[in-house]
Amino acid sequence: MIKLQNVNKYFYRGEPREVHALKDISLTIDDGEFTLFSGASGCGKTTLLNAIGALDSVNSGKIYLDEKEITSLSEDERTTLRLNEIGFVFQAYNLVPVLSVEENIGFIMKLRGFSDSEIKQRVLEVASMLEIDNKLLSLPHALSGGEQQRVAVARAVASKPKIILADEPTANLDSKNSQKLMDMMRELNIKEGVSILFASHDELVKESVDRVIYLSDGALVNA
Amino acid sequence: MFSFALKNILFYKGRSITTFILTFISAILFIVYVSMMDGSHDSMLKNSLKIYSGAIEIYHKDYRDIGGNEYLIRDVESIEKKLSLVDGVELFSSRYETYGLLSFGDNSMASMVVGIEPKKEEQLTQLKVALVDGEYLKYGSQNCLYIGSGVAKRLKVKIGDEISFIGGASDNSFVADIFMVYGVFKTGLSEFDDSATFVSRDYFDKLMLSKNIASYITVKVKDLDRVDEINSEIIKLLNDENLESLTWKTLMKSMVETMEVDSIFGYISLSLFLVVIFFVIMIYGFINVSSRIKEFGVLRCVGLSKKHIFLLLFYEIFILSTFALILATPIAGYICYYYSINPIVIEGMAEMYKDYGIVSDEIPFSFDIFTISWNISLIYGLNILSIIYPYFYINSFKSIEASRHV
Ligand SMILES: Nc1ncnc2c1ncn2[C@@H]1O[C@H](COP(=O)(O)OP(=O)(O)OP(=O)(O)O)[C@@H](O)[C@H]1O
Ligand SMILES: [Mg+2]
Repeated sequence: MIKLQNVNKYFYRGEPREVHALKDISLTIDDGEFTLFSGASGCGKTTLLNAIGALDSVNSGKIYLDEKEITSLSEDERTTLRLNEIGFVFQAYNLVPVLSVEENIGFIMKLRGFSDSEIKQRVLEVASMLEIDNKLLSLPHALSGGEQQRVAVARAVASKPKIILADEPTANLDSKNSQKLMDMMRELNIKEGVSILFASHDELVKESVDRVIYLSDGALVNA
Repeated sequence: MFSFALKNILFYKGRSITTFILTFISAILFIVYVSMMDGSHDSMLKNSLKIYSGAIEIYHKDYRDIGGNEYLIRDVESIEKKLSLVDGVELFSSRYETYGLLSFGDNSMASMVVGIEPKKEEQLTQLKVALVDGEYLKYGSQNCLYIGSGVAKRLKVKIGDEISFIGGASDNSFVADIFMVYGVFKTGLSEFDDSATFVSRDYFDKLMLSKNIASYITVKVKDLDRVDEINSEIIKLLNDENLESLTWKTLMKSMVETMEVDSIFGYISLSLFLVVIFFVIMIYGFINVSSRIKEFGVLRCVGLSKKHIFLLLFYEIFILSTFALILATPIAGYICYYYSINPIVIEGMAEMYKDYGIVSDEIPFSFDIFTISWNISLIYGLNILSIIYPYFYINSFKSIEASRHV
């Protein structure tokens, strides 16, 4: 469960002009949700996702992951939290170019200290779910965009995090590949029980999710 | 992390090759340069030891500092008896040194006139080898003088000319005699060639009343590396607090100091070179890291800690340095070893640098495992230091910003 209480976030772009990017946001997301943050460009979707993912600090308010309050954690503690509890899917795939698909998928598990046999088994499992099991030995640059993004999803999901945060995962994909990705993420959401939060303005994503949370100019909009 | 580092090295070939080659070349240059410097210093010392100075010299206390007839050694025979008992001593000879006025025609000059045992000096020093005109002193030579080339030039004398000598004997009495120029030498030590002249003790002792008296006794040892050990043995055996037995390290203090200064300058220029290499390696590391900011940012986002990143950079440079050094060390070592046995010969070098005590055209290298090891460690250390700046540079980005870096 994710709980936000009166979260505020400001960006300071050179002193006098500040951006109030998140305005007093309070919301709860239950385990296993398949949810989208939606809204116009610049409304604060990414900022909110980063705050939940412990990538960025907030100026006031509290964020809880289950019982854990994450806004007061140190940089190092947040790094550990991200490693152990959160999976990320980025717009630009962001795979490690020198590692094969298999190594990319197993990378986080390896960092967390899973055994090689566990990693191998799990990598095969998620790779076949995402239909990339025939590409395991390739390097990322040899893959299509859709395939790379599926590798990124596989990497995020492999270590069984509680939540996966996906910021514009379909932005670089055509509609066919977007649909395929959403279908597969849906399947993961159901099979593995992992919560997945999207930030996107892609209609296709909106149609796939269970719940849409609207943001406007940094504040929640009551739908 | 290790295999990840290895993959990065293989992937970012440009940086890897540059770092590898730079490390390789700088290691070789560094090791060879130090070996050459040490080696030439070594040979300078050995050469000047060969020419005239002894590895060990025995003086009466205060002779070196004050001088004068009160501080002469007056029981040469008993000391020589003791010296012949010391195992590490190969040979020794006493010298009677005095300063006198030499004149020929209109020219005169002060000279160091030394009574020597010609046979022994022949084995102890290069005096005989340095002969350039006439003949070396024969044992029992009469009033014959063996003079430095500089002295011959000043007095404008040639073989067979007669030089008058005025000086003081060991009992402070006034002495005058006529010597015939018998031979001329040139050692290459210009100060020496310009002022020294030699007479056989056999003759000189009668003139100076210096039988069984010496200014000092010069000693050649069997093994120069054991000189300190042998010297303390001599001191123990002499057991006379009026005598002092000194090794070349004290005797040639000024030369040793000159060489130290020379080494320091050598090391300064080497450090400049290494600093340049260091920065080039660092800059390449930095460029590489800059091109990977986004990648590092993503890694940090997904949970890679700063420690992991440091380890990653460390392994990368460690692997590259290790490979380069594993290859460079035997090559550099072999070069040093080869030239320590077959010194480089530069024609005319001795002539050009004779004022600096260089008397041979050969530059032998030194081959010393200890020196080579610390050279290598230094380069290792520098390479590893070179990741510090790139490391801080990576961490100066917040993970999210870095992950969006283009
Ligand atoms: N690092 C930053 N420094 C200053 N201002 C920022 C920074 N990041 C975001 N902002 C500002 O905060 C507001 C919210 O940005 P955010 O990136 O969360 O929007 P978004 O909804 O994700 O937009 P998009 O749909 O274009 O991705 C915007 O006004 C943006 O300009
Ligand atoms: Mg955004």
